[in-house]
Amino acid sequence: MAGSSAQSSFRHQALRAGHRYDPSAASRPILVFEDVYKSYRADQPVLRGMSLVIERGEFVFVTGPSGSGKSTLLRLIHRTEQVDDGRILFLGRDVARLPDSAVPALRRNVGVVFQDFRLVPSWSVFDNVAIALEVIGLPQRLVRTRVGEALERVGLAGRGADPARVLSGGEQQRVAVARAIVHEPALILADEPTGNLDPQLAIDVLGLFEDIHETGTTVLFATHDRSLLDVRPRRVVILDEGKATDVPQGLAESDAMLDDDEFEDIDIEAA
Amino acid sequence: MDSNGALVSRGMFGTWRAGRSDWRLQVLSIFSLSVAFVCLAAALLVVTNVEALRDRWSRAGRATVYLKDGAKEGEVAALMQALSQTGGVSRVRRVTSDEARREVVTNDEALAALPVEAFPGSLEVAFDDSIADEDLKTIALKLRALPAVETVETYERWTERLSSLLGGGVTAAACLALIVLAAVISVVGSTMRLLLQRRKIEVEVLRLVGATNGFVRRPFVLEGATQGALGALFAVMLLGLLFLIVRDRFDQQLANLLGITPSFLPWQVALGMVTLGGLLGAMTAFVSLRKLASV
Repeated sequence: MAGSSAQSSFRHQALRAGHRYDPSAASRPILVFEDVYKSYRADQPVLRGMSLVIERGEFVFVTGPSGSGKSTLLRLIHRTEQVDDGRILFLGRDVARLPDSAVPALRRNVGVVFQDFRLVPSWSVFDNVAIALEVIGLPQRLVRTRVGEALERVGLAGRGADPARVLSGGEQQRVAVARAIVHEPALILADEPTGNLDPQLAIDVLGLFEDIHETGTTVLFATHDRSLLDVRPRRVVILDEGKATDVPQGLAESDAMLDDDEFEDIDIEAA
Repeated sequence: MDSNGALVSRGMFGTWRAGRSDWRLQVLSIFSLSVAFVCLAAALLVVTNVEALRDRWSRAGRATVYLKDGAKEGEVAALMQALSQTGGVSRVRRVTSDEARREVVTNDEALAALPVEAFPGSLEVAFDDSIADEDLKTIALKLRALPAVETVETYERWTERLSSLLGGGVTAAACLALIVLAAVISVVGSTMRLLLQRRKIEVEVLRLVGATNGFVRRPFVLEGATQGALGALFAVMLLGLLFLIVRDRFDQQLANLLGITPSFLPWQVALGMVTLGGLLGAMTAFVSLRKLASV
């Protein structure tokens, strides 16, 4: 009993003021959506009471027709947008209620990759990746090492000095992926990352995300490209009419198991 | 390097890299700021010299005692001796009508045509710098009462006029300072808006990866400070150059007449202007970005 008390006391001393030690935190889902509402226009809600749970270490496809709210969902997690109602818990904290001063810390725990890469064309490949570590204030020596490792993981070893603008689309997307993973975030959000790539490159980039997922990172991959969803059976979340439909075993298996009628409203191919 | 050090160094690095790519915009901004600061510096230069002139004349401690036409030599000699023995008087010089005529009439025919009586004889009295205004007034009052004395000029009204001019100059300089303040805020604010527009992608990427507002703003604030300080520095240098050119052509006789040689802004004032420019630039950039570049 005494030992337990001493251990508890040690734990509390090691924590910052205002932060309680919670041993169950590690087993909690990484992301929880609770009855989330979001609309840009009052008469056109994008999300209508959407609920969803993403466990740690999952690879989840988010799909649905254009305008179904895939990007909005990711932007809400990243706090680029604010929910109208409901809660989004990331690592147990409500993203919507974070003070503005805590938003940078949230974003440092999330890697984001977009369809349009969002690289600075005039910066070198190295600078584009290094910025994710420099905002944390990591020493330059460590920055160099970790950027080198990240570029190696995405197959761009030795290309650090090249200006980003001279790279091909596929290479630019790899730089964006390197930037998203270099600070080892708990969660990676990919918003149509293959939208600007040809089919073979798209599958290569998907493979890159799968490799990252293998290391234990949770990946939320938004796409409307049905061919990618069929590459491997993965959990798929279909957004439509502001609600999420969960397909845990992937669309291919579900298509075989369920009647076609159940998905007739969700014309992903056409989207 | 600690965490903060790394942030600062990155911030500065970001500044210079961005500064190179936007150098035309920076140069235009610095030029505009220089023009604004040159006006302020010129006004301060005028105020500085007028103040020096007023100080010089207010403590010039000199008076001209104009003698009556019929003043006898004995009276004048006695007066000179009495003045020489008066406390606070450092020198007494007799200027006869002929000498006065020679000093004033050089090549001017109109003046040369004037009769000798138009140039009264006088005593030029020099006082110590330490003499009090009240003492000077008392001496002048006593001199005016003497039968050989026509009138006494203490140049007090000139000092008063210069004081009035100086007051006007200070007011004008204060108004100019306000205009310069508005110009700096406008120029730096516009430049920041343009720079932010040009670096939209950089700022977007910085936010994407979790940069704090401070990290995003720091390079811009440093640029604002640099622009303001360089604008003021170039203004001081330009004014210095103009001052050297003008001073070389400044008439020595005019300098003798005024009793001063023109002087440039004291280094403390010049340094203060550069510091003011830097602070104004930094503050304007900070406030502009507070509105434009929040998370």
